[in-house]
Amino acid sequence: MVIRPARGLSIRTKLLLVAVALLLIPWMGYQYVREMKSFLLQGQEKALSLTARAVSTVLHDRPEFFNPDTGASKLIGEPNDLFAYPLPNYVRLDGKLDDWGESLDQATLYDGSKGLLCGPDYEPDSLFFRQLIGYRGPYLYTVFEVTDDVLILRDPKIRRLDNSDHVRVVIQDPARPVKRYLMTARQPGRMSVYLMDSNWQEPLTGDPNYDIAAEFLPTKNGYVVEIRVPRYIVASQTRIGFMVADVDDDLTREVDVVLNASQNLNKEPLARLLIHSPEIAKILRGLNRPVARIWVLDNQQQVRAVVGRLSREPETNLTANSLRDQLRALYDRALHGIYNLILETPSGEIRDLSANVSHRNDEIFTKALSGSPQTARRPSLDQTTEILMAAHPVWFGDEVLGVVVVEQSSNEVLFPRRQVLENVISVTLLVLIIVTGALLVFASRITLRIRRLRNAAEQAIGIDGRVRTDRITAEAGSGDEIGDLSRSVSGMLGRLSQYTRYLEGLPDTLAHELNNPLNVVNSSLENLQEELPQTQQSKYMERAKNGIVRLRSILTSLTEAANLEEAMKTESPEEFDLVHLVSSYVEGYQLSYPDRAFKLDVRAAPLRISGTPDHIAQMLDKLADNAVDFGTTGTPILVRLDKQHGLARLSVINEGAVLPEDMGDRLFDPMVSIGKKNARRSRLGLGLYVVRLIAEFHRGKVEATNRTDIPGAMFTVSLPLTTST
Amino acid sequence: MSRTIAIVEDDPDQRENYADALLANGYQVTAYGNRPEALAGMRHSLPDLVILDIMLDDEMDGGFDLCRDLRAIAPKLPIIFLTARDSDIDRVSGLRLDAWDYLTKPVNLQFLSVRVSSLFRIVDTLHTQTTELEAVLRLGALQLDPNSMSVRWNGKEVNLTLTEFWLVESLARRPGHVKTYENLMQVTRQSYVERNTINGYVRRIRKKFREVDIDFAMIQTVFGVGYRWQPK
Repeated sequence: MVIRPARGLSIRTKLLLVAVALLLIPWMGYQYVREMKSFLLQGQEKALSLTARAVSTVLHDRPEFFNPDTGASKLIGEPNDLFAYPLPNYVRLDGKLDDWGESLDQATLYDGSKGLLCGPDYEPDSLFFRQLIGYRGPYLYTVFEVTDDVLILRDPKIRRLDNSDHVRVVIQDPARPVKRYLMTARQPGRMSVYLMDSNWQEPLTGDPNYDIAAEFLPTKNGYVVEIRVPRYIVASQTRIGFMVADVDDDLTREVDVVLNASQNLNKEPLARLLIHSPEIAKILRGLNRPVARIWVLDNQQQVRAVVGRLSREPETNLTANSLRDQLRALYDRALHGIYNLILETPSGEIRDLSANVSHRNDEIFTKALSGSPQTARRPSLDQTTEILMAAHPVWFGDEVLGVVVVEQSSNEVLFPRRQVLENVISVTLLVLIIVTGALLVFASRITLRIRRLRNAAEQAIGIDGRVRTDRITAEAGSGDEIGDLSRSVSGMLGRLSQYTRYLEGLPDTLAHELNNPLNVVNSSLENLQEELPQTQQSKYMERAKNGIVRLRSILTSLTEAANLEEAMKTESPEEFDLVHLVSSYVEGYQLSYPDRAFKLDVRAAPLRISGTPDHIAQMLDKLADNAVDFGTTGTPILVRLDKQHGLARLSVINEGAVLPEDMGDRLFDPMVSIGKKNARRSRLGLGLYVVRLIAEFHRGKVEATNRTDIPGAMFTVSLPLTTST
Repeated sequence: MSRTIAIVEDDPDQRENYADALLANGYQVTAYGNRPEALAGMRHSLPDLVILDIMLDDEMDGGFDLCRDLRAIAPKLPIIFLTARDSDIDRVSGLRLDAWDYLTKPVNLQFLSVRVSSLFRIVDTLHTQTTELEAVLRLGALQLDPNSMSVRWNGKEVNLTLTEFWLVESLARRPGHVKTYENLMQVTRQSYVERNTINGYVRRIRKKFREVDIDFAMIQTVFGVGYRWQPK
């Protein structure tokens, strides 16, 4: 029986296919996150409308913010803006700080770190000041609380004005020349104010300026200067700057340091002065976040203020320090392509309406201006992403003053969503790899075990169908199903080998059983001959004895094969020359079968093999018998010896009947016989079986083929040569 | 005084036939059908020679067991196995039990008588040493005594069965002369002998000689024809 190799998928492949089902996990995650998108966007919208409401709540009842003339400059967020705070009362210019009230807490501290005009010898302790700007009625007020280690007052004998500690104010209206005001004091009290040249050295005119009033008062650590400016000087587009100049040397009277009341280092810093609603501006500035943009529009849909940005700064990549981080980065990079393939990539940069737009008339604004909070979505101008908007009206009593609109890119949701997805995919992929690996190992192990069991099971029964071993050791100790299978195969083999033993013993038993009656007949005939001497000449006596011989021959061949195997096991092989043996025997056959011509064809000599000559001779006998039986009477029988691939080949070739094609190796199975029956020669089909047994015992093999030249058969035995030849 | 032969054989027909044949040759015969009877009977009166079947009724190895028991009673008693079991294992087992010969069925009754008388002759030789002697054959290291049917190689006893002795004698009588299978078959005095059987006998003979002399190679195979004793 030929065992076909498995054609279907191997267990390993099947398990791997099953493992592919794990891919459903990231798919599930993907679906989930996709579902989550709308949910998240809704949540984001809600958050935005809450923000809009909060911002609008701050702006409720502050009509001044929306006053187009005095309202806050629309762009909030320049870092050097100066703020003017509303004061609780008018300020008396007396150098005393008590009438500034609590607003003094808003004073800004300036020291060398902020603005430093000249003087390399500046020491932070030697000069710094606090400044506060406020307004009340038609006036702007500012106070400088200067800390100065050396106080130098003006010397009237010196013409230049910058020879003492002084305060500078710069005012610039759009498209007008810069006005420089210098305030200096000869003694505590009113200060002299002059319009100055660009070098701050000479006054433009000899006359002091009376637009601006200033008061000087020395203190323990320095001095205080209070300045009053009429509001008309400072229009909404006016830029303004303050400086404190310090002179420390009484003799040289050179300006050591000029400190700017500003964040920047320009020689003459100019900043917008925001004199209205600075709290609102500050609040709005506090809302200045990189993730959202807040628009404030008045009821004419004019943009009053914009803070924030829509897109984040690109995140700076942290340098991977540890090996683990590096591995992780490598892994992430490797997967990045996959992510980009299956996930929407939120664009990092969004090009959208710039903050300089002064007028917007989206539907959401008109609706919000009619008094109801709104949410909407629109694509960004570059179409790369969606922008969520939430609008909330700002109330002044029952009147809608304006509208607050908070915009945010959906990327704010999509970024974390993508990150979640990336994490899910990374983890799943890792799990998949590990699980697949584990499954692979597991499947390989199972396959290996099953293969081992299969091989053991296959080897347990020989090619001739005999049970070689009735116990399989492979996997016999395993506690699982494969172990069960192994044990069950062992059980089957045990039962089979019992049955085989019974079958093998059957010819012996049969022979024994038949031998006894045969012996009765034989001995009775002999006794009969003694008793009745006349029967000795009887032809019937002769035939009866002939029959006994034939029966005996059948019984012998029945037991021959079984006995042969036992006999061969006890033999010790010797080395001999096959050519010598075969040629001697062929001569003998010529004598035994005088009517058949035996031809010997030795193509290679000597052919030394290892084995028992008796059995080889027995094998040759069977082959010769076979050739004589099947060869056409009168045709020669050719015995050929040659050498091929390290094997000695012995062929017995006869003319006559061809072998049936479908017989194959079954010819050499026991009890298989072909061809004509000879009534006088019994044939049990054991001859060729004996040939095979002997050939296999000598680690050789036997094959039967048809002759190619003329009808006839060729039986070839290949036997391994000894290494010495 | 005629000799007594005990036959132990479970098949009554064969038993009777053997008995008849041996009686006709002038022996007294006691026949037993099974092992216990045979053992009891022979304990009572010991025969001069025993012919044993191996399978006795239900006992597969009854003959072997009986042989063992008899050896305990009479170590020198000549015992012949006459059985249908002809496997090498059985043969070896039988001879290990110090059987004098191992014959397989069917047996020629005349040959059986010859064999029996040969055995008695050996017994006589061992006992008396006085009757006229056949010449002892000496051939190199081989010393072959047809009277006691004993063989020595280099002075050492080679323990051969009767059949084996006959084969060695046949070969050694004419060294260098090829004895064909047909010749040797005659020598074994069995009714039906195959070439394999002769080969088997020769193998066993060689083995027994090699137990005494590892380099023994006097019996040569003449492939396809037979065997011969190496001349010189």
